[in-house]
Amino acid sequence: MTNTHLNIEAVSKSFGPVTALNQIDLKIERGSFVCLLGPSGCGKTTLLRIIAGFEKPTAGRLLLDGTDISEVPPHKRGFGMVFQSLALFPHMSVAENIAYGLKLRKTTAKEQRERVEELLNVVELPHIADRTVSALSGGQRQRVAIARALAIKPKLFLLDEPLSALDAKLRDNMQIELRRLQQKFGVTTVLVTHDQTEAMMLADELVVLDHGKVQQAATPTQVYRQPANSLVADFIGAANLVKAEVDQNGQLALFGNTFKVAADHEPGTAVSVAVRAENISLRPAQANGGSAGRVVFARDLGAFKEWLVSVKDQEIRVRSSASDASEYQVGDLVHLSADPARLSIFPFTGSEDAAN
Amino acid sequence: MRVGLLPTEGGGTYRFAILFLATIGILISSLPVIVVTIMSFSASEYSSFPPTEFSFRWYLEVVQLFTNEDPSSAQSVVDSTLTSLLVAFLVMVISTLVCIPLAYALARSNRNLREGMELLFTLPLVFPLVMLGIAFLLIAESLQLELGIWRIAIPHIALVLPFVLRNCLSAMNGISVEIEEAAISLGASPPRAIWDVVVPLMKAGILAGLIFALIISFNEFTVTFFMYTIDVSTLPIWMYSRTVSSLDPATLALSVFIIVVDVFLVVLVDKLIAGRGNLF
Repeated sequence: MTNTHLNIEAVSKSFGPVTALNQIDLKIERGSFVCLLGPSGCGKTTLLRIIAGFEKPTAGRLLLDGTDISEVPPHKRGFGMVFQSLALFPHMSVAENIAYGLKLRKTTAKEQRERVEELLNVVELPHIADRTVSALSGGQRQRVAIARALAIKPKLFLLDEPLSALDAKLRDNMQIELRRLQQKFGVTTVLVTHDQTEAMMLADELVVLDHGKVQQAATPTQVYRQPANSLVADFIGAANLVKAEVDQNGQLALFGNTFKVAADHEPGTAVSVAVRAENISLRPAQANGGSAGRVVFARDLGAFKEWLVSVKDQEIRVRSSASDASEYQVGDLVHLSADPARLSIFPFTGSEDAAN
Repeated sequence: MRVGLLPTEGGGTYRFAILFLATIGILISSLPVIVVTIMSFSASEYSSFPPTEFSFRWYLEVVQLFTNEDPSSAQSVVDSTLTSLLVAFLVMVISTLVCIPLAYALARSNRNLREGMELLFTLPLVFPLVMLGIAFLLIAESLQLELGIWRIAIPHIALVLPFVLRNCLSAMNGISVEIEEAAISLGASPPRAIWDVVVPLMKAGILAGLIFALIISFNEFTVTFFMYTIDVSTLPIWMYSRTVSSLDPATLALSVFIIVVDVFLVVLVDKLIAGRGNLF
């Protein structure tokens, strides 16, 4: 059953000669949490601002429940938005901030008070209604900004990198809380982020944007396990992109192991293989044979260990869990082997060297 | 161990030089005020400094000037003061009403336009005041209209605009577009967002601009000297006409009143824009 809430149809946006978005098509399900993920300058914030109505698309249209809203001005869209700077009103108290949208909707003072109280309870800050914004901590401001956007019972809940200013631990807590809030209110949510861990943690659907295009729109697991192309594979997780060639038998040689590849890769073509750092294992090698590599960098990050192994003229990133007792030092010779089930193979585009 | 260029609590490297320069600066700028204040308490008719005897007689005379009609002068001090206050009020209100939307538009426009416009509005500051006076006089005469109080108010508005604009602009600087968009996303129309969010945040800058306009207009002499008529004249012109032949100590007493009010207002401005704006 599909239940499309927001339908983005062939939306393009140019700023003068610069194309920020190129023919974006996206269907957002009712009640889902969608993360727009991409490197900076990929157009994700522009897309969010088009949804909010602060930018007009150069071409294409937006359908909300089947109604074209492209020409509706932002203040009539009824979308709650949390800004990167949070943009709380510094001359108003916390309660006045949250009640602002309600005041514009001509609700009674009593209703406003009740809604403010309700929302402050939801964001677990029941006693700060009368404080000024400047007296709040970073995490509190975050919650007030979220409460303010949710107070108007928004049709869509839009967030523009709202957690980027928080320190790592607080950010982790807020991510969990944000997800809970979204599920509690069942509001269709679009969040922009450049942090892939955040996106994977929050999203029902992950939309990877790059070069103004949707590179892949799928569940986080799918995006991680089956990246649609080498750009996605490179951006999500610690992936290695290795150039390889499909031989006459339709087999692929990687780190000295050979695999059978799907028939859609013509024998004799160059391909790039994306293999994640945690899907490669190492074993000691005796001599510097064709497939052996030399460890050039080693670090123990607690949760896992990580090595950079120089194979031919490429450096391959390898990760093992902390429970893995293997110890390799810089200078050790190792054999690499990759899990054939966890490889993604793409046509070679020439950008692979730059990606590493 | 910190070796500071600026004076620190323990005494910085250049402490002596800075103290010396500060003392000279304060002396130069406050000397006229000190002299006028001391002289206003003189008991003598003749203005010689320092006075030999002290009294409040000139202060009493100021009170009398304001309460009794003085047939000897062409325009009474009461009329001049009222004109000055009315002009200052008009200048204050109009320049602020012009500068709030202007500052908003400039702050949200592109950088080149903003810098160009700022320069344009600063021009009255760099013109010699005498030339500005002559120019306004020529314009007023060629218009052949009965301008009334606007003869003086319009030139004053031109003079105070740079100060008011600067204050409004620096108030606008701290207001991000996002905060306006936040109000809009919550349902405020763009004008409503400006009224609810931008104007309250500009308040300190607006008030500082208002007070500057008031002080500058009330004290303005040079340009007004070209523009005043028998019917429309200001307090500084009246004070000048009282002292042009021989110094009248009563005007010194009056000056002290004005200085006290000005100092109060400047302190208020300083409090308002503390750390947030620039006076100039």
